[in-house]
Amino acid sequence: MNWHKVLSLVLWITPHVLLGVLVVVLCKRRLYREFPVFFAYVLYEIAQFILLFALYSIPGAGKQYAYAYCATLLLSIALRFGVIDEVSKDLFRESQLLKVSARRSLQCVTGLLLVVGVLLAVYAPGDNSGRWIAGVSVVNRGAAMVQCGLLLALLLSSRFLGLSWRRSTFGIALGLGILTSVDLAMFALRTAFASWVAVEFFNLLITSAYLVCVSIWIGYVLAPELQPASLMIVPNDNDNDEVGTWNRELRQLLKH
Amino acid sequence: MIAAWILVAVALFALGILVYVAIRSRTRRVDLEKAVQAFRSLDIEAFRNLVDSGEEAFLRNNLSPKKFREIKRQRAWAALIYAWEAGRAAAALAKIGQAAQRSPDPEIAASGVQVAENAFRLRLQTIGACLHLLTEVVLPDLQSPSLPPLVDQYERTAETLFRLGRFPSREQGLVRPKSA
Repeated sequence: MNWHKVLSLVLWITPHVLLGVLVVVLCKRRLYREFPVFFAYVLYEIAQFILLFALYSIPGAGKQYAYAYCATLLLSIALRFGVIDEVSKDLFRESQLLKVSARRSLQCVTGLLLVVGVLLAVYAPGDNSGRWIAGVSVVNRGAAMVQCGLLLALLLSSRFLGLSWRRSTFGIALGLGILTSVDLAMFALRTAFASWVAVEFFNLLITSAYLVCVSIWIGYVLAPELQPASLMIVPNDNDNDEVGTWNRELRQLLKH
Repeated sequence: MIAAWILVAVALFALGILVYVAIRSRTRRVDLEKAVQAFRSLDIEAFRNLVDSGEEAFLRNNLSPKKFREIKRQRAWAALIYAWEAGRAAAALAKIGQAAQRSPDPEIAASGVQVAENAFRLRLQTIGACLHLLTEVVLPDLQSPSLPPLVDQYERTAETLFRLGRFPSREQGLVRPKSA
């Protein structure tokens, strides 16, 4: 067994072992109640790995492996969308106003990204020499682009609006964001370069990114929730607690 | 092939933003005094004057079209900077409101909800106002309606913010006395 094969196996197996650790942490902290879709996604990823690894280990099951990979990939993509939806719901949970307006904006962003994804699939289908690999890469590339765009929109809008993230939610979004952005780059290149050597190299990068992503999830889920940051209260010396006084004082100050 | 490299560049850019946001989120702190200072630094009357349609009509009637366009651009640009800064102050207030929302004191928590909601509303309105004012900078001949909702929202947000300052703190870490 050469070093490349060993490295590939280590990078394939390790994140899934860590996903097992993540399941334990999610159960212990009862976070599966707050993030049921994310919990289902993690369990699904482990199950998918067991199935694919079993097929990979059986000699001559290459075709079955390919079919299983394609079938499980679609559900994995759907679950990731579910996780993003869960993250956005958690982010906007405290504001009635944002629940409506932000969700509407996110739907527009999703629609726009889907259109770009479909246009890319039509006009830049890539190298079709290895047909099913290229096909899977195109689907993955489109999904990664939409998901990465959505997560980026969530992170940027939260910063823009001054929304506070819970640590665990932020960790899930950050990990998934890093994973989807690496996926986007790698599947875009895989669509263009479908040779086996290139595919093997891109696989190494994708599994490495997955390892980083799972580590981020574990790190953020284990980290304690931040206490409210210390605030400097407006001095309560005179009768400035009256709204009217404050407004008058503010206007006075502004006139100078 | 070009599409692939463009997507790689987009992905790297996205990755860079994600890492930046992650690092910044670890170092950012909420400071009520800073938010109040930000609000104090905004002259609401000056802003109201800049977006007043009566003033605009007066200038339109008394200046040559060329001069009017020049003045209108300057006024719109100044108003845009006000709106932008009001939006930034609103974002800081939203953070404070959310921190107060998590207070065990029900009064502070209720005030926090109000501050956050008003701040979010103001932030959203400033986005609309900025776009509107940017259009005026580009197309100064466009007849512009006044922006009273933004001004009203600003004042409502300021009021709720100052109301928050009335409640004595029992939660360590959320509110600190002046001498601390």
